[in-house]
Amino acid sequence: MNAEGLRIGARHVGTPLRRENARRHVAGRSRFTTDLTLPQMLHAAFVRSPLAHGRITELDVSEARAAPGVHAVLTAADLADCCTPWRGTLDHFAGMTSVSQRPLAEEEVLWVGHPVAMILAESRAMAEDASELVLLDIEELPAVTDPHAALHPDSPKAALEAEKGNLCFETVLETGAVDQVFAEAAHVVEEEFTFGRHTAVTLEPRAILADFDPSTRRLTVHQGTQTPYQFQDTFARHLGLEQSNVRVISPDVGGSFGMKLHVYHEEMAVAAASVLHGRPVRYVPDRLETFLSDIHARDHRITARMALDAEGHILAMDVHDIAPIGPFSTYPRTSVAEGNQVIRLMGAPYRMPDYRGRLQVVFQNKVQTSQYRAVGHPIACAVTEALVDKAAVALGLDPFAIRAANVIADDAYPARSATGFEFEALSHEECLGKLRDLMGYDALREQQAALRDRGIYRGIGIAPFVEITNPGATFYGIGGARISAQDGAIVKLTPGGQAQVAISITEQGQGTETIIAQIVADELGLDPSQVRVTTGDTETTPSGGATWACRGAGIGGETALRAARKLAAQIRAISGAVLQKDGDTLILSGGAVVSADNPMVAMDLSEVARIAYYRPDTLPAGIDTSLSVAHHFAPSGYPFDFTNGIQASHVEVDPETGIVRLLRHWVVEDCGTIINPLLVDEQIRGGVVQGLGAALFEECLYDESGQLTNGSMADYLVPMPCEMPDIAIAHVETPTKDTILGAKGVGEAGTAAASAAAMNAVNDALLPLGARITQTPMTPLRILRALKTITD
Amino acid sequence: MELTGRYELEAPPEVVWDALFDPEVLAASIPGCETLQAEGPAAYTATVKLKVGPVSARFKGNVEIVDAAPCRSCRITGKGSGGIAGVAQGASLVALEATATGTVLTYTADAKVGGKLAALGSRLIESTARKLADQFFANFATHLKSRQENAA
Repeated sequence: MNAEGLRIGARHVGTPLRRENARRHVAGRSRFTTDLTLPQMLHAAFVRSPLAHGRITELDVSEARAAPGVHAVLTAADLADCCTPWRGTLDHFAGMTSVSQRPLAEEEVLWVGHPVAMILAESRAMAEDASELVLLDIEELPAVTDPHAALHPDSPKAALEAEKGNLCFETVLETGAVDQVFAEAAHVVEEEFTFGRHTAVTLEPRAILADFDPSTRRLTVHQGTQTPYQFQDTFARHLGLEQSNVRVISPDVGGSFGMKLHVYHEEMAVAAASVLHGRPVRYVPDRLETFLSDIHARDHRITARMALDAEGHILAMDVHDIAPIGPFSTYPRTSVAEGNQVIRLMGAPYRMPDYRGRLQVVFQNKVQTSQYRAVGHPIACAVTEALVDKAAVALGLDPFAIRAANVIADDAYPARSATGFEFEALSHEECLGKLRDLMGYDALREQQAALRDRGIYRGIGIAPFVEITNPGATFYGIGGARISAQDGAIVKLTPGGQAQVAISITEQGQGTETIIAQIVADELGLDPSQVRVTTGDTETTPSGGATWACRGAGIGGETALRAARKLAAQIRAISGAVLQKDGDTLILSGGAVVSADNPMVAMDLSEVARIAYYRPDTLPAGIDTSLSVAHHFAPSGYPFDFTNGIQASHVEVDPETGIVRLLRHWVVEDCGTIINPLLVDEQIRGGVVQGLGAALFEECLYDESGQLTNGSMADYLVPMPCEMPDIAIAHVETPTKDTILGAKGVGEAGTAAASAAAMNAVNDALLPLGARITQTPMTPLRILRALKTITD
Repeated sequence: MELTGRYELEAPPEVVWDALFDPEVLAASIPGCETLQAEGPAAYTATVKLKVGPVSARFKGNVEIVDAAPCRSCRITGKGSGGIAGVAQGASLVALEATATGTVLTYTADAKVGGKLAALGSRLIESTARKLADQFFANFATHLKSRQENAA
């Protein structure tokens, strides 16, 4: 008998264990980068461009250098020799261009907030005071702020050195007969969309403390990031250090959402300054600086049309996405990935034979945009689902009916989308049915009709979605990015018979450490409380991809599982020698090794460990006593493990004020094996809130000269608890067969479709009033414009 | 951002005009003005301390009076840098008209801010600018009055 997978006793995968580290946070025992103080530490502040585009004509830092507490004032020239420039292009985005970047602006400033000089002082306050003494004169150049105008041949350039004007990247994805399909289709619906830019607004801002020791040439960087291994590589290469001498530690991190894996000018400047001055340098942006320098997200102008036959079957979509980014593409993942996923995820849930997607990524003088939770998904979902709803109205079909008629059937997998995605197994039909029951759809429609008679406008919107998770090496590695597609884990049985895991996926508050403990506990027959998990340190954990693109649970979890199985095999072999049993007939359960055919034959794990560590002399000669194993896992098989689900939103629109009240939200989601239902639901709820924020509230506003005009929490609206509806969640479980664990990602599912459902719900409410809105955020002003109450 | 204003001053246009070109009067009238130095017959450099919402800063800049039609109208342009607080620039067309009791001064101004001022203060910029303009002309009127009293 092979004991792998045999179990007695409690199974912890699938149980709603609380996040173990939440206790620490609640007790005030967290340690974020900002909590760390080192001897000789300097604080950094940056002088930033107040203009969106210009040429530096004077930069005089002499007065600032003489200010109290100031150790140094650095400009581009000071860092030129110790930090090489970077360029955010990847080979698999053929033809893409971007200007290279250095930590501080050399001559040209490219956006409001572009760092020009860096002050190092004994305190942040002193550094800020000194920064007021820097004399910066900039000759203003025309700012590019409108994406359509930016593409005009006569448009000024957002970056003077850009090779192809303001075009960063262009691609067309096309099946054979799109034009013919549209020409012959019974129905064609079309629409123009504008999706605003918003940003992550993490509770803890980015934070870095770089500590270079000149005597050993070792650089230790404490950084609030989700990808310590990527930054280890980045710092080593750009600062000319041995990679083995660069250690990146990510302690507690207060939220990332994709924002904390990009290379920022300030972080590079801080690391370079520490190397240059041989002292620890800390930088923590204030909230305004986060608005001026954290990546922004989305920002799309889309025209799209959908062709349907007489019965309402979707035949094709034709989409043109103009995606303005910043003045350059973000390093090292590029700013193209968002638009690329937008055009590839269009119509993903549906049997749609033909498709054309055109993407133009455009430079402009605003903060760089890049990957943020659910990259591209909310945009593709909103466009697709708005068109499906519009078609349903045109054909007189119910929103559920038109979707039921078009989703890929649950028994039709494997399937391939018109955009080339390979789906292993999805569950749209089951999710659709489950959602209808969960939300009490028919009763809601009756209530809606009754309330309309009383002048109350409620709307119901639904949105199925497909989510990209567990990406393989084709995602970044193939384009030349030094971003690991695999993860690694070391699992160790301690001399006391408990387990310690060091793993390369990271913890941002989502519960990574808890789910890894659950998985390892199951494999070793321990309780999760007996499994200690270490993350976020390039020196003490194996190298790997870490946390992005919904890969932590699926890839990191599988890594931990396989590593733990290796250790379990070792434990069985050692204990088999003691018990004189074939290791394969032993199982690990309840903290002990037990014979599968005779439960009376058993020994505690602590006894196995005691013998292996302290009395190896009592074991047969030549036996391998290793009780630490390392394992790496890279996904193979499907390029991605896609997940699916469906969301619904119930809203009430006040036509007099334009205010939308969110009444209820529902999600049915299929992420494969659920490792921890509590944390999965937390991920979905948090994701939905971020999606609803984008739908109704969040937007980084710029004026025509490229000035950000709402750089504070007073002006930038984040979704607040009082505005959020109850979010009901149900699950379907279709495990992936690519892995033993069967888990797929879930972190982006909530964000993927929440705004699409909300937009459909608002438009359903506005339908009897003859109004329609296709711009997010759907602010009261824009709704009143849609209603023609306001006409300017 | 466009601002307009109208003030009634109890002095004839000639007196108002002279005062507008008097660095002492200007220095005393500009709210928060710390220094004002004439760089020519109609050009000044100035240091002004201002607070817009949460941002307070010392602006260093220059002011120039151009297109002067004596006692009737002129354009006042200015540009200032407030260090990390950002930049401000503006132009204003000022017109004087004689009335029975003195002079009516009207202005239209166009102002632009950048950097931290724009990011944090955009909601407050207009009301602050209006308040500053009001303060300037209130101060200016007071000085005109004391000037005339002294002259008398």
